Amino acid sequence: MEIKTSGITDVGLKRDHNEDSYFIDDPLHLYVVADGMGGHLAGEVASQIAVEMISKSYRTWVENQTPVEELFAAPDKSLSAKGNYILSSIRLANRVIYEMALEYKQYHGMGTTVVGLHLSPDLVIAANVGDSRIYLIRNDRIEKLSRDHTIVSEQIEMGMMSEEEAATSPLRHILTRNLGSAEETDPDVFELVPAHRDRFILCSDGLTDLVADEELLKMGREADDPERLCRQLMDLVLKRGAHDNTTIIAVFVGGMKKAKKGPLARIGLTLADLAVGLQRLIKK
Amino acid sequence: MPRLILMFNKQVIREYPFLKDSITVGRAEDNTVVIDNLAVSSYHARIDRAGTDFILTDLQSTNGTFINENRVVTHKLAHGDNVSIGKHILLFVGEKGKAESEESDQKMSLNKTMMLDTAKQRELLAKQKGAAPVQKPIERIGVISFVDGSGLGDIELNKKLTKIGKSESSEVQLSGLLMGATAATISRRPAGYTITFTGGMTKLKVNGQVVKESIDLKDFDTVEIGAYKFQFYLKDVKRD
Repeated sequence: MEIKTSGITDVGLKRDHNEDSYFIDDPLHLYVVADGMGGHLAGEVASQIAVEMISKSYRTWVENQTPVEELFAAPDKSLSAKGNYILSSIRLANRVIYEMALEYKQYHGMGTTVVGLHLSPDLVIAANVGDSRIYLIRNDRIEKLSRDHTIVSEQIEMGMMSEEEAATSPLRHILTRNLGSAEETDPDVFELVPAHRDRFILCSDGLTDLVADEELLKMGREADDPERLCRQLMDLVLKRGAHDNTTIIAVFVGGMKKAKKGPLARIGLTLADLAVGLQRLIKK
Repeated sequence: MPRLILMFNKQVIREYPFLKDSITVGRAEDNTVVIDNLAVSSYHARIDRAGTDFILTDLQSTNGTFINENRVVTHKLAHGDNVSIGKHILLFVGEKGKAESEESDQKMSLNKTMMLDTAKQRELLAKQKGAAPVQKPIERIGVISFVDGSGLGDIELNKKLTKIGKSESSEVQLSGLLMGATAATISRRPAGYTITFTGGMTKLKVNGQVVKESIDLKDFDTVEIGAYKFQFYLKDVKRD
């Protein structure tokens, strides 16, 4: 498996400072973006804590092959061991941010979204809290591997609002989950298997507020490398007003082609059909 | 050069630079920005340059003109303001640079991501829509039901990623000469379940069609992997 990555962040054209943070750990194949919120510099602190806590705790648990019962939070039985490492690292980051927000007046009310992605040859883990997103571009389709934790998103799920209404709703940036507002948080974690030529985009809403999914698909498919894609997307955001901090990580997967189908392989397939036929006959 | 960016459903439709000192918006064709939508009045609003300022005025439109959450009659535009007209948004892009007043920061507050606790959420929703109770949608879990006489029966897909194949670490262990260690995987995504062919000499078929990459699974799809055959369906999860 070959993985190429690139990350980019910009304060945008409207904000005084950048409260987004991001992290790329190539040896661990762990990628994290966090979009902080809160008065003064608190947002920056929250997103930094998220990114550091998640990367440090994940690394520790992976290196020690820690049993899932010994992690920070009770294990989620629907996830693999690594999935639980990521889940627990996010829960741990949440607790730290929450406690700090309580303890220090200048951090009161601080919080952050987070999206995290891990890749290995047989497993992809995508995790999120909030409205930052992870996209997968595969076979000319773009798919969200995160769920928006916003009021309007829940309204859409319940059939009470259309996507159109949500796009212009003044409530569209209001979150139902984040890191820091409550003692416990409920991350969404998804697992799948990577495929050759998969391309992942992690981003804060500064990107997706101004660039539609169809555009992400087109630019993501056509870009030669992740650096160029990040640059093109950021240029587009700036051209369109960049009203918010924007952070993008692009991850391109290669070197995972399935065995080539030569003439021998074609004979192999016919043998497979024969074998299936035989198995069916034997069963009868 | 200051300009307006017309957007609908997060897609940019067109940009309108301030080539003259005013821009009019409405459904009638003699406006600068023509929006052909029933929610927009014939002459809905105008934006006039006054020195270095840009003033938005609502022309007594039927549905109103909104800056962020607030309906306005006149308003001095600040860089980054979202002007809502019907279901369209006009994003005002001023000259580059700081010049942020306290006032405009406060007005922008709904454009910044915010977190609301449940009580405040309900309050806001009641204000907006007429108070429907917040109910979570019923959770459903995928189940595969073997119909080929293999005796494997019904298997609930409890994991986010279910591996199917000969390997002992597979959640669904199948046997067979040509069965791959992992022949296929079913992953639970935000939008639902997806089955992916991962390898091996046995073919993956869904509803009779060979699947070489991935396909989304729908209720009652029939799947074949080699000699095995199962049906996929969604089961309501009992709420506690």
